[in-house]
Amino acid sequence: MTEITKSKDLGNGWVELNIGPQHPSTHGVLRLKVKLDGEIIREVEPVIGYLHRNAEKICELDYYCDSLIYFDRMDYVGAMNMEVGYLEAAEKLLGIPPPERVKWIRVIMAELSRIAAHLVWAGAFGLDLGMLTPFFYCFIEREKILRVFTETCGSRQETNYMSIGGVYQDFNDKIVYDIEEFIEQFPAKLEVIFNAYVKNDIFISRNKGIGILEPEVAISYGVTGPMLRASGIDYDVRKAEPYLVYDKVNFDIPVSYKKDNLARFLVRFEEMRQSIKIIGQAIKKIPDGPYFNPKAKKSLMIRLRGEGETYARTESPKGEFGVYLVGDGGVKPYRVRVRSPSFKNLSVLPVLAKDVMIADMVAISGTIDLVFGEVDR
Amino acid sequence: MVEILEESRGKDGRRILKVARENLVALMANLKDQGFDHLSLITGVDRKDRLEVVYHIHSLKKNEYIVVKTETLDERVPSLTSLYDSANWDEREQYDLMGIIFEGHPNLKRMFLPENWAGHPLRKNYDLLKVQYINMDENGEDYATFDSGDGW
Amino acid sequence: MKTGDGGVLTTTLEKAMEWGRSNSLWPLTFGLACCAIEMMAIQASDLDISRFGSEIFRNSPRQSDLMIVAGTVTKKMAPRVRRLYDEMPYPKYVIAMGVCVIQGGPYNQGYSVVLGVDRVVPVDVYVPGCPPTPEALTYGIMLLQKKIRNETER
Repeated sequence: MTEITKSKDLGNGWVELNIGPQHPSTHGVLRLKVKLDGEIIREVEPVIGYLHRNAEKICELDYYCDSLIYFDRMDYVGAMNMEVGYLEAAEKLLGIPPPERVKWIRVIMAELSRIAAHLVWAGAFGLDLGMLTPFFYCFIEREKILRVFTETCGSRQETNYMSIGGVYQDFNDKIVYDIEEFIEQFPAKLEVIFNAYVKNDIFISRNKGIGILEPEVAISYGVTGPMLRASGIDYDVRKAEPYLVYDKVNFDIPVSYKKDNLARFLVRFEEMRQSIKIIGQAIKKIPDGPYFNPKAKKSLMIRLRGEGETYARTESPKGEFGVYLVGDGGVKPYRVRVRSPSFKNLSVLPVLAKDVMIADMVAISGTIDLVFGEVDR
Repeated sequence: MVEILEESRGKDGRRILKVARENLVALMANLKDQGFDHLSLITGVDRKDRLEVVYHIHSLKKNEYIVVKTETLDERVPSLTSLYDSANWDEREQYDLMGIIFEGHPNLKRMFLPENWAGHPLRKNYDLLKVQYINMDENGEDYATFDSGDGW
Repeated sequence: MKTGDGGVLTTTLEKAMEWGRSNSLWPLTFGLACCAIEMMAIQASDLDISRFGSEIFRNSPRQSDLMIVAGTVTKKMAPRVRRLYDEMPYPKYVIAMGVCVIQGGPYNQGYSVVLGVDRVVPVDVYVPGCPPTPEALTYGIMLLQKKIRNETER
């Protein structure tokens, strides 16, 4: 299973083992150098960079509007959230606010995308722990979301739906109907998936009390998102610094004080329920109006010039996603820097996976919810 | 009290403090005591004649954001690993891609690229036409080379 | 293949082997980037790949005969791709999924991406798209099956 396996005896009875980059439980191309004492892990060193696609460099070579496609491919399971994150920064820098209707459309799409991302995580997490059944249920539901995306913008996963000052295409009646139909039937299906997990004793015993993350450690390592909330800190960018129209919808932040794997699992499932709540309100409140800002028409878009610097942060499915943009007055950004939540969340793995069994490390790295497009960029 | 060279507001309304490189650690320690416990982001910006390092710090309790900037002419800035654990990986990443040497960092190795990769890609004077290739030695470690026959 | 009068099937040994081989392609679990999620989607219920005999994604290269390179191959990953390919037993096939794998895709101006996985391993079928839809990948697998059976595409 481990592709490049070269174990070394380190003298004191410890063995160094190399896991990855091709490994079924590493969610992509994570490579871990593990020092083992028997079956207990004493030290973990993540080695990353196997998907380093130089996104920050190419963003500097392209126009402001073109950079969006690289952001799509960062957190590729929740692409809409990445687009929102970039546009929050770019629109502030370029001085092109989106119309009111666009804000509501973006909230709906971002939340749908968050559900899709969490569903992929839920399915893959089951696979990590040897549970095949929930994977199929998760992907059936995800396909329904992707059908809505295909209807709105013609693409399934890397949507490239939003653009500076607007969206690519307006909602029509069919899309609204599809979304309403989805949020009507999804909660029941979510409970089916949820029960498939939590009614399984093996699943519970493999997660309860494993991978305790203390809140002070989490803050010091910059851990955000569901991982931070599972450690008992009630913090969500959507509430703390509302962007788009998140201050006009009513939702709760799930928090757990148990700090372990199971807590992170429960927080993510509760987040999906809250997302449904947000979409349900937003689809009713969505106002009429234009779906793009006339200052950013397609023909004008490559002439947009930005000067100064902005930092915008949004709540992506993985945590706090920040984009720092520096402009020098030209048509291309001077510097693009991305705060990727997975990168920060992964950096806490050496703390979490210390002195645990090697099988538990797989469960722990599963709950971190790694997406390598974002870690390596 | 730490001397602050310049204070301004960014386009997004965040406070920007500019500080000399020597006073950076003192200022950050000071801010950490005031509750700014979350170092969110470290960014290096290549201003062609100098390197700018931007720190985004954040207080979870007060929900306040501060941007701290410092500049360096000889690529060296003090490391913040003694204050924040998250500085460890961020500084390694900026060392890799921007070539900023963080003095006092316990393990300043490249994050994404192999150890002997020539140049730092996010610098403005990095030549994209000089293609480098990577191969793997028998221990599973990577090395970079300019020879297209020796790597991919 | 010919059917005789008594219901007897006659064929050459090669034909029978090719037919069997093409209908039990076992892919390697080898997700690199975005396309890997679409590769997972063809496993799932909506587009069940088991219909074409590829139901089991093997985790070990020793047990698989099809490598779907799904996602951008970076320079750092390329030696590993090559080693995985070398570890697979003959006969082995490669499908290049997505434009990143075909020629670098959106990242081809950069410094760390291999401009096409065909510089690393020989490729049998190219499936373009960014990412290709699962249907496109299924079609790619069917094309490969035809190629194995020595049938020409109409």
